Amino acid sequence: MSAPALTALQVGDAITPLSRRVTQVQINAYAEASGDPNPIHTNEEFARAVGLPGTIAHGMLSLGILAGAVARWAGGSERLTALGARFSRPLLPGDTLTCSGRVIAVEEASGVVSLAVEAVSDRGDSVLTNGRAQVRLDT
Amino acid sequence: MPDSSHVGRTYVAPGQVVDGQRSRAFAAALAGDDPVAEPEAVPPTFAAVYLLFPTLGQLFGDAEVGIDLAGLIHGEQHFTWHAPVHAGDVIDASARIASVQEKRGMTFVGVDLEAARQGEVVCSGSSVLIVRGASS
Repeated sequence: MSAPALTALQVGDAITPLSRRVTQVQINAYAEASGDPNPIHTNEEFARAVGLPGTIAHGMLSLGILAGAVARWAGGSERLTALGARFSRPLLPGDTLTCSGRVIAVEEASGVVSLAVEAVSDRGDSVLTNGRAQVRLDT
Repeated sequence: MPDSSHVGRTYVAPGQVVDGQRSRAFAAALAGDDPVAEPEAVPPTFAAVYLLFPTLGQLFGDAEVGIDLAGLIHGEQHFTWHAPVHAGDVIDASARIASVQEKRGMTFVGVDLEAARQGEVVCSGSSVLIVRGASS
């Protein structure tokens, strides 16, 4: 993975967006690998019983995909130093999540680049909002 | 139902071993049908496994705080990574209730998180947990 050159970066530059369709199979795999026991992610009947339209993806699954998008742009996950977001709307199985971001600050001395990031679904829902990420690039 | 008297409660989970096999399964689950971009790396949000669940699981089991899991929403999550984590690392995880606020008939619980490897903080962060239904 090649990192963007720090000196060429400008505030407002966009990261390469990443789109990924999230299936129930993937949600089940994430539930098992993460150890999240909440049945709203894997049990259709249970999810409906608590007032959801059906199963929903884990917020942390969407955040993990967003982390991958920022890491890919930055040239590797070890360059990602911070990430956070609000879980605003659920991502439903079959939806495609699109992660994007833009540069909001560049510190040339330290190589630290701050980004505003978000993730939206193809049904138009803002899944991850108020997102902020920080990466450290080579100086 | 959580209230402000619970601020300061701390949950510790020492000795969390970062399991390489589980980390690879986690990375594959994030990738879905796409290839895993960095097969050898522990995904940054694997902090869910070595930091979030071991500590928040204890919070959810704290009968005195009394969080009703059926009404629980993960509202926000923030992480700062201070150093890369690798398979085989042994992590001491801790969480502390930092705030409890009622807004719009819901209870917002702020939790501060920290993961240390032999005393060196490798990941810190915060969670916002939303419990539907207010205590008063």
